Amino acid sequence: MLSERKSSRRVLERGLSYLILVLTCLIVLFPLAVIVSSSFKTEREIFSFPMTIIPNEPILDNFEALLDRFPLYILNSLKVTTLITVIQVLTATSAGYAFSKLKWHGREFVFLLYISSIMIPFQVYIIPQFIIVRVLGLYDTHLALILVSSFTAFGTFLARQFFLTIPDSYIEAAKISGVNHFQIYRMIILPLSTPVVATLAVLSFRYWWNDLFTALIYITSQDLKTLPLGLADFVSEYDVYYGPQMAASLIAIVPVIVIYVFAQRYIVSGVVATGIKG
Amino acid sequence: MEKPGTGKLTNDTGVALLFALPSLAGFVIFLLIPIVMSFLVSFTNYSGSFRNFRLVGLHNYKMLVLDDKFWQSLYVTFIFVVASISFQLVLGFLFAVLLNQKIKGRNLFRSIIFLPVVLSSIAVCLSFLLLFHPTKGSINALLKALSLPAVPWLADKSTALLSIIIVFVWQSFGYYMVIFLSGLQSINYALYEAADMDGASGLDKLLHVTIPLLTPVIFFSFIIALFNAFKAFDQVYIMTGGQYGGGPAGATSVLAFDIYKNGFLFWQIGYGAAESVILFIIVLAVTVVQYRMQMKWVHYDVV
Repeated sequence: MLSERKSSRRVLERGLSYLILVLTCLIVLFPLAVIVSSSFKTEREIFSFPMTIIPNEPILDNFEALLDRFPLYILNSLKVTTLITVIQVLTATSAGYAFSKLKWHGREFVFLLYISSIMIPFQVYIIPQFIIVRVLGLYDTHLALILVSSFTAFGTFLARQFFLTIPDSYIEAAKISGVNHFQIYRMIILPLSTPVVATLAVLSFRYWWNDLFTALIYITSQDLKTLPLGLADFVSEYDVYYGPQMAASLIAIVPVIVIYVFAQRYIVSGVVATGIKG
Repeated sequence: MEKPGTGKLTNDTGVALLFALPSLAGFVIFLLIPIVMSFLVSFTNYSGSFRNFRLVGLHNYKMLVLDDKFWQSLYVTFIFVVASISFQLVLGFLFAVLLNQKIKGRNLFRSIIFLPVVLSSIAVCLSFLLLFHPTKGSINALLKALSLPAVPWLADKSTALLSIIIVFVWQSFGYYMVIFLSGLQSINYALYEAADMDGASGLDKLLHVTIPLLTPVIFFSFIIALFNAFKAFDQVYIMTGGQYGGGPAGATSVLAFDIYKNGFLFWQIGYGAAESVILFIIVLAVTVVQYRMQMKWVHYDVV
């Protein structure tokens, strides 16, 4: 009797859980579906109600409207994002090595100082950083974006946490056989660290591919704009056409969705690593 | 951190410097020095050139205190931070608990709810601009179909901030869900079995096992959410009017956005820097208070 009541309550709970989850997933997916479907719609059909998910008369005009500027924006974004990703992986792993496997005076203090910078909003230091960039003659260059993003405290933290799990005896053994630290880093640490390198690469790429703020501050030339800047330009246009906006948005989210599908576990492990060990 | 037997590594200061340098050089030049400079610049009238440049003491701070826009910005920031953190954490926790059950399609649900976290917030905001359109948007069309009154969303000062918060939370609660979920999965199942044997109800288990054990994760998520909320910028920029934006009557002009506007559009760099310093002090103060308070409610001792 009691167990019967309990099991029917179970079924009810299960059903309710599913209902909430399915509804939430629909709410989460809806704005993304709007991007995809509006990209192929006429302005008229974009605002039709009830909304059509599959366009009645699919068109490519919205993408054609992007042809004069966006190929360059995409190229700029690919260039800047790829360079930043490679540099961040290198600087984070090499600093991670220094903070985990090398002994030096002040290591813990410098590490703590470095890590605490994660907590500071970039708006706190963006104005003086901008002054420095201008003094260095880097204003309105891709190099400015790359240099100000050349380090990652969060990435260094992730790398260090991972390297701490690699036994010191490996390094001792290598040193006894006369191998120097650069060779240890390159031939022992990095090959053992593919999961964390993948996590760092995926997180950096995603972050900088999506970044608007830094580009907004440092880039003004039309030719140097990145994809997020190109997207942001839509909001200050006088005549608003939603079709091209959605087409450009689709271009901005597709690469990240592809990465997400194939590398989700690296992204999630990056999130989880901070949550548990933080 | 040091395990016994690891003290064998010799002193490598020189090599360590080389390894850390690429990272630390950028950190010092583009972050540490700028933070210190923020304070210095805030005592000047710097406006992009050194003509008429002089020290003005606390003038910028006085101007801030007298500026209604600054106080409004603080108020907007407060509402934005408190509301988004609450929704993010509550929704994140709720869905983590839902997905911690053994149900079919668990990974798919988790993947979908987490998906917006990784996507371009600009693209997301542009999509919501369309949905929130006061006369033609799907959301108002839906409300109308349900014979509910239309909402002006971003177009009105009473609802603009709410709209921004909705988009911000929509895009980010999946992040906290994933953190909570990993926390839940690390809880020893035997504790629930023990509670079952004591005849505990589902709610008892949630209140007396799950939540206490999760307090370190809750605390951590809270801190992360706090920092993320203070630096939120894209939503305000994209959804409420671009560079001259900040919403109807400044209704969405959070401090992070106001700093950008004063510093980079009006070239009141000294004034913007003073605002930065205040943002820094607020974040620091909140963090310190949180660390103090965690002793009262975060349990690190239970396994």
